[in-house]
This record gives sequence, structure tokens and C-alpha cells, in this order.
Amino acid sequence: MNEIKELLWELKNVTKVFPGVKAINNLSLKIYSSEVHGMIGENGSGKSTIVKCLSGVYQPTSGKIFYRGNPIVIHNPMMACSLGVATIYQELSLVPSLTVAENIYIGRLPRKERFPFIVDWQEIVKKSLVILKKLGIDLDPLNIVADLSIAQQQMVEIAKALSRNANLIIMDEPSAAIGMEETKRLHEIVLNMAMQGYGIIYITHRLDELSVMDCVTVLKDGEVVGDRAKGRINVKEIVNLMIGHDVKEHYPKQINQTNDTLLTVSDIYTKKGINGVSFTVHQGEVFGLAGSIGSGRTEIGHAIFGIDDITDGSIKLQNCQVVMTKDKFTTPREAIKCGVALLTENRKYNGLFMNFNGVNNVSIAKLKKIVHRGILDLNKEEIFAKEYIDKLKITPTAVEQSVEFLSGGNQQKVIIARWMFCEANIFILDEPTQGIDIGAKVEVYRLINDITSHGKGVIFISSDFEELLAMSDRIGIVNKGKIIAVKEVKNINKKYLIEKAFVNQV
Amino acid sequence: MKNNMLNIKKRKAPSYIGPLIALIIVIIIVGLTTDRFFTPGNLRNLMLQVSIVSLVAIGSTLVIIAGGIDLSPGSAIALLTMILASMIKFLGISAPFAIILIVIMGALLGFWNGVLTAHLRIPSFVTTLASMTIFRGFAFLFNNGSPIFSISDTLTEIFYGKILGIPYVFFYVFFFFILFSLIMRYTELGREIYAVGGNAAAARFSGINVKKTVVMSFIFAGVMASFGSVLMAARLNSGSPNYGVGMELSAIAAAVVGGASLGGGKGDIIATFFGASIITIVHNGLNLHAMPTSVQNIVIGMIIIFAVFIDMWRRELGDIFSRLISRRTKS
Repeated sequence: MNEIKELLWELKNVTKVFPGVKAINNLSLKIYSSEVHGMIGENGSGKSTIVKCLSGVYQPTSGKIFYRGNPIVIHNPMMACSLGVATIYQELSLVPSLTVAENIYIGRLPRKERFPFIVDWQEIVKKSLVILKKLGIDLDPLNIVADLSIAQQQMVEIAKALSRNANLIIMDEPSAAIGMEETKRLHEIVLNMAMQGYGIIYITHRLDELSVMDCVTVLKDGEVVGDRAKGRINVKEIVNLMIGHDVKEHYPKQINQTNDTLLTVSDIYTKKGINGVSFTVHQGEVFGLAGSIGSGRTEIGHAIFGIDDITDGSIKLQNCQVVMTKDKFTTPREAIKCGVALLTENRKYNGLFMNFNGVNNVSIAKLKKIVHRGILDLNKEEIFAKEYIDKLKITPTAVEQSVEFLSGGNQQKVIIARWMFCEANIFILDEPTQGIDIGAKVEVYRLINDITSHGKGVIFISSDFEELLAMSDRIGIVNKGKIIAVKEVKNINKKYLIEKAFVNQV
Repeated sequence: MKNNMLNIKKRKAPSYIGPLIALIIVIIIVGLTTDRFFTPGNLRNLMLQVSIVSLVAIGSTLVIIAGGIDLSPGSAIALLTMILASMIKFLGISAPFAIILIVIMGALLGFWNGVLTAHLRIPSFVTTLASMTIFRGFAFLFNNGSPIFSISDTLTEIFYGKILGIPYVFFYVFFFFILFSLIMRYTELGREIYAVGGNAAAARFSGINVKKTVVMSFIFAGVMASFGSVLMAARLNSGSPNYGVGMELSAIAAAVVGGASLGGGKGDIIATFFGASIITIVHNGLNLHAMPTSVQNIVIGMIIIFAVFIDMWRRELGDIFSRLISRRTKS
């Protein structure tokens, strides 16, 4: 429709200062219509500050914002909305108990012409259908949002933005919580929107998404360090721009695999959908689990860790100091005692204690280690925890500060530190690099090397098949609660994983 | 070594500093506006007044830190004073032994609340609301629902007794506040209570027995209610099914004014004592000014809102404050 690109928004020398930090520094940026503008940078590089300046949440400390060439001050989010800026945050703002159509029109439900106090439901459904069709989304407007997948809910958010006559849609890491197939689908919709003349800011951590972007802005420490138009986007170069120094290898894989068995899982079943899973993990090995969301990969971890009850089958752990009374763990407490650690998929939901500082977050799973005659030795705790905070290069503010204020990467490392503090033998890492920046990812990979170099085992669950292939020694492919194949990584590639993991998937 | 020193300097102020400052301000205001506040008689009277509610508030704070709420201690006190009075007066059980039994019963009442909350997964607001009426109902089953007067003359000594001019209750309060703040700071259980209140799901994944921890917090609350009931019975030398009405709310108010968050995971035992003291002293000050109860209630209500407001917006207020200061110094 609208093939001519016009300048929608321009930021000129914008600086935003928070007490003690310059979140963005003298930053200039142009955003056009009909274009997918990628924004890439580590956590704390200023991406979200830019978004919040554009959506009226923050006011720049200095510098100007122009809308279609005219200087403008966006006083509040309402004003940004009326100027056509719609932001889709990672935490979606839908009402789960309402239908798709109701969510799209929430707050401004159309009324009947003759009776303005009565909602015109037919009109809502009709209008919603038009928008969904325009986007190429196949969704029933009468579906309840709670029943939709995260990816579908995102689509509803997009539809809601369009229904408000947005011209700029800002998407804050839309691909972080959805699977590979769904990401593909999302890309199609994003491209479709750009074709229809919308301007899109697409924020991501994932480098495999560069293909969807018309141009990329790379941010570091609140400044633009690189601007690349389509055709000049080079993954390696962008990685280097983001980190600021040359990383020789993106994946620093060390092979520490041995032939000594550490964990044997034999034919386990759970009520959460694990149907006969068997595998072994050797000392020093990274055993990858590849599968889509809902395939049962997370549930395998939960079964081993004693969260989900194993109804049949057994688990055997070598090098276990405590005698296992049964051939499974009935509580995480037992699993931890025997040296099993689980880094959960969602660190905010069931990983972090936001009321604790970094030190207390590290020690919580094995307080016994700092107990002396029934009393917690707080000095010992701090010395121990600081050791890990130093070793894992966690920001020193983690010692005093609540983990709430740490970046995603630092938060993740705090939880890894927790399990290292426990001296675990088996680390089940469920999406350890989700939502953290590339620098922190590389550090997580190095920690995996560190774990395996001490003869410990890792079960590595990830949606990012590239990292899975790069960091694992063997990979088990999980599909519908079963491991359908176990392969040495040198014998397989990404294409194979995708085919196997997504086969028979609806 | 130098590094260490720096770290110690940077350490955050303990969380009871805010309520302590508020308490000092309240004491200064009441002290300056009345001439009787600092008389030994009034101070001793204050000590006696704050003792029962502050001991009960220790339990309420523990439950709140663990992420729950306890509405039952007021009724538990009524029930336990009736049982205590019956045991001593009608069954002839010696006072010390009866008190031991009362503490055990207090623990059982807490256990009941805890098990319902943790194992049946009923929200603690509901379970303890039910317990509130159940316990009071049981209290009325004793002595045909009539109060039991003049239990024993030795019992009153527990409340009114003095050593070197200092009332015994001062030592009870001192002992229990020190004990529980040490438990919360220096034991596994204390740390686990904070963890469960902060994030129960994460606590489970960290190997903490969440149910046991919740039950323990309620047992502590029951035990503290039982001590409250002993003091209550000793103070009035009687047991009554009408004792302790509204006590649970005063105890929660003390915890909240002391900075405990009803969201769980946050709170400080010592700060709760300051919270209880603030409320008691404000009451006392208004009394000295001959203000009617109606005004006193309104003022206390406003204090609760103000305390929570300060707590919620502390960071923002701090920012505004530091900005004002920096502007001053610039100009």
C-alpha cells in the first residue's frame, strides 16, 4: 500500500540520566515507516530506555524528539498512544479471561448507535475479524485469551495495537518466549505489517533474527555503535559490535566428556506427560535436550529433580554421598542432597528471591554449609558467596543489592552460583541463556565448561538449536514426552534437529 | 583489609532504623506537648500496655514474613485465658504447670492454622478468619460463657511484679524480641521463612520444605499468643471469652507500622516492637491530652496508612529528597 518510506520519528542527541547512570548518551536515531528497524544490544545498553522515551514513560534529560519533522515532547503514555506509538512489552497486557475481540477493543468498546450505553458485540467481532485478516492471523475473535499460546497472545497484542491506529509498533523481544516455528510465523506478520506501511522497532537478543530486519542499530552502553542497512548485515560483525571486542569464538566449547556414567534414567513415566524416557549422562558431559516448548523437555528435568512424581521407572546417580532410599527423588530437597541442581526456565517465577540480596540468593539451597552448631555464620556466608560472585564475574553490587535490580545475565549467574555453591554433580540447565545478552551468554557457556571440566554432568535444555549443537556432546531429541533419538552432535546438524523435534507437531 | 573496611561502611542501614526514627519523633512530640509523659509512673504504665500486644505481634510478624496473615490470636487469647483460669481455679493445677500446658495448647492452635493453610492450600486469611470465630466459640464453652474471676493471687505477680523497680514484663518483652530476631537472622528456619514469603515457588525449587516452614510460622504465632494470654489473665486475674477482641488487628498494625510487607518476605522483629511502641505511645499521648477514643482510633488508622505509604514510596521519596538536597547545594 504505502511503499514510500517517510520519516516518522527522529531522536536527536537524546540523553537520559538516572541517578548515577547515563542510560542513553547523546543518541540519534531515525525511524521510518514501512521498515523493520532492528535494535540489538546487551542488557543495559539502553534499548528499553529508548523505547520508554518514545512511549512517553520517560522524558529525555536533554536532546529532542521529532515526530514527522516537528519537535515534540511526549508527556505521557496516553499522548504517545495518540501519536500512534504502540509498544508490545514482553509481559503482555492482555486480560486472560476475556475473548480475543474484547481484548482488542478493551477500554473503547464500540456502542450501539441508538443505545450508546449498550455494547455492540457484533460490531466488535466484525471489526476484530477485519484486523486479524489484515494481519494474516488465523484466530477466532471469540476465543478466550487464556486458552491461546503465548505466540497467539502476541498476535492479539499486535491486533490491539493496529486497532488503535498505531503507525509505529515497538516490539520488545517478541521472540524470547516463543518457539522456533512460531517465531517464523511472527516474522511473516512483521514483514507483512512493514509492507502495509507500518514502522516497526524490533528488539531482540537473537542473532538468527537479523534476516527480518531492514536495518539494524547496535547499541552499547547507551550509544549507537553501529548502523547497518539491509544487505550489509553481518552476524559476526554485529556480535563484535555488541560486545565491543573481538570474540574469537562465539561458542567456547571444551570437550570434557568421559565414559564414566554419572546419571542413569531408565524408562521413567510421570503424570505430567513423560512417557518412558531413558538416557545416561556421563561425567564431564553436556547432554542436550532438544524439543519444542511443551514437548516434555522441561518435565524431564522436573521429574529427575523430584518436582513431578515419577510413577514408573528409576533414576540412578553415581557419586552420590547420600544413600538413595528409593530409585527416584520425591522432593527437590532429596535431589539437592544427592547433588542434583535445577536451573529453572523462568528465573523470576521460580528462581530468584527478590527480597534477598545476591549473597542470600546464592546460599539459600544449602544453608547447611554455613551452619555452625545450628547458627548461620553470616561472615562465612558472605565470604563463600563473594567467592562465587567474583568467580562468575557477577557485578559486585549483587553483594548488597536486591537481585531485583540486577540485569538478566547477572540474575542468571546468581542462580548458577547458587548451584555451584551446593557443589552439585548434575546441573540441569533449563534455558540458561534465555533473555540474557550475548556477553552473558558466552560467560554461561564458559561456566558450562567449568562445570564439565570438574567431571560433573550437565543436562542442557534450550530452544536455541545452534547453541545446543555447539555446546552439547550428545543430544536427546524430545518429542511428545519421549526421547526419540540420542545422537552425538558431530553426526547431526540443525536441520536434523528441527525435522525430528517438530515432526508430528500440530 | 582496606577493601573490607569500605564494604562495611557501604553496608545498608538495618531495616528497623526507619521505624526507630519514627518512634523517637513520636516520643519527642508527646514528651514536649505533655508534662506527664516522662514520669516513672507513665513509663511503667506504657511498658505494661505495650507488652501483650507486642508479644502477640511477634507471631503476627513471623506469619506475615512467611507470606500469610493471622487473624486468630485475639480469639486464641480469649480461649487460652479461659482454659488457664479453669485449670488453676477449678482443677487446682499449679500455675507454672498450667502455663506450660497453655503454651503447648497455643502451639497446637497455631499448628491447626498452619496445617489448614499449608496442606489444604486454603489462603491463611480464610483459615485464620474461621479460626477466629471457632476459637472464640470454644472460649464461650467454658464456665457457661461467663468470665472466671480471681484466679489466683500468685498469678498477678507475673504481670505486676518488679525487680529493682523494673517490671517483669520488661524482661519478657526484651527476651522474646531478642530471641526471635536472633532466630530470624541466625537460623536456617528464619532464613527459610523469609525465602518462602519472598517466593514460595523458588523456595520449593531450592529444596526448602515450604509446608513445614509455613506450619512453623503459625506454631510460633500460636505460642506467642499463648504468652499473651498468660499475661492477659495475670493482668486482670481472670479469664474471659471477651478478651483479646481486636488484638489481632493491633498486632498486624504493629507489624505493618514496623515495615512488614503483607506481600511476604519482608519484615523485621525489632521493627515490630517499634511499631507496637509507636501505636501505644500515640494512644498514651492522646490520652494525656484527654482526647476521646474516637479521635485516637482515627489517628491510629492514619498512622497505619502513612507508614505503609512511606514504605511503598521509600525509594521515590528518597530520590525526591536527594534531588532537593543537591539543588540546595548547587544554588
